[in-house]
Amino acid sequence: MNIEHFDDETLMAFADGELDDVTSLRVEAALEHDEVLAARLAVFLDTRLAVASAVKPLIDEPVPEALAASVRRMAQDAEASKAITDEKNVLAFSAHKKRPQGERSQWLMPIAASILAVVTGVGGFMAGRSGEQPRGAFETALSTALDAQPSGSEVALGNTETLHIVATFLDGRGDLCREYDLRRAEENTTTVACRANGAWVTRLALTSPRVEGYVPASSQDMVDAYLTSIDAGEPLASDAEKNALAKAE
Amino acid sequence: MTNETPTVPQRLIAFLPNLRRFAISLCHSRELADDLVQAACERAIIAAESFAPDTRFDAWMFRILRNLWIDHLRRVRTAGPQDELEKAHDVSIPSGEAAAHARMELMEVTAALQKLPDEQREVLILVCVEELSYRDAAEVLSIPIGTVMSRLARARKNLAELTGISLGEKRSSDTKGGVA
Repeated sequence: MNIEHFDDETLMAFADGELDDVTSLRVEAALEHDEVLAARLAVFLDTRLAVASAVKPLIDEPVPEALAASVRRMAQDAEASKAITDEKNVLAFSAHKKRPQGERSQWLMPIAASILAVVTGVGGFMAGRSGEQPRGAFETALSTALDAQPSGSEVALGNTETLHIVATFLDGRGDLCREYDLRRAEENTTTVACRANGAWVTRLALTSPRVEGYVPASSQDMVDAYLTSIDAGEPLASDAEKNALAKAE
Repeated sequence: MTNETPTVPQRLIAFLPNLRRFAISLCHSRELADDLVQAACERAIIAAESFAPDTRFDAWMFRILRNLWIDHLRRVRTAGPQDELEKAHDVSIPSGEAAAHARMELMEVTAALQKLPDEQREVLILVCVEELSYRDAAEVLSIPIGTVMSRLARARKNLAELTGISLGEKRSSDTKGGVA
């Protein structure tokens, strides 16, 4: 009798219901007389069940009230600010990025650095870093990422920094701007840079310490205040963002 | 925009238990998991517009959460040794399991899961617990579907070896009492 060979991945796909119909029939036929094959298949069936049984019940654990309440608040705030923008059709500052103002500090940072502390740590707004020495390769990588990556993406820059692009928007003069975070182990720099003369020019850079790996809310308040001052528009949706970035290059 | 489909913030609340389960399986620590869930929800609300309503919300959320986790790991690695993993042993054992026997097995599986490399465990959880398709798992992990399959197959063979699940020779019902 011919014994057809199936590799592990095919058997696994069969066990998971991911195998195409034709191959599935062949596996079924082979299973009828091939015990070794059945035993190999059993590994994939059994492990799926075992993992599911061991981990699935975690879902029945009650979500801690503090977490649930915090997320509910964030959700409500987001809904509320969306309702405001929808209704008035204006660029309401509070709705910028639909960001839940102030909520995160209560949960993530009970001892959130006050705005004062952030100012002290940073020396206030650094309006532009044009005086700084460019860091060569780093700057190039950053600029390349800003040219192309969509908001929400994370890009590793060098060994110790991660770029997280927050949003893309137009300022009051119609310049294309991006807000992004540069995250290091100990601190986070939130930057607003706008396109000018074919380059990304830093308009604001705010460095604040990280606590538990997250960014204090208070520095976000300052960024939001700055965004209001330059009359920043709503963040662009992904298609509009893609077009705007393509044009800017 | 109509209000017929639930918005991202509305969905988030309903999805919290799933998200938390996934977070706990990733990081073995409830405390860390809750921070992670919180941060992921924040991120999701900010990025709500980038969610395409005709795609899977769970996959989108898992991806956000997992990216945050990777980000965290990267930071922790540069920051020095971590003890979270060490002190987190039986953390994902469900409580209130009636049969001691079943519980023992679950502990074995849970312990084995924690011995797997991160990349194998996460794909295992996404497919076998969260029931994502290979394609959706590939999307969440930003890897090709072929890599999902090879990792997943390896993860399951490793798990079988670690727990003594069938592994070919015998498939008697006593190896997995109460699991079906």
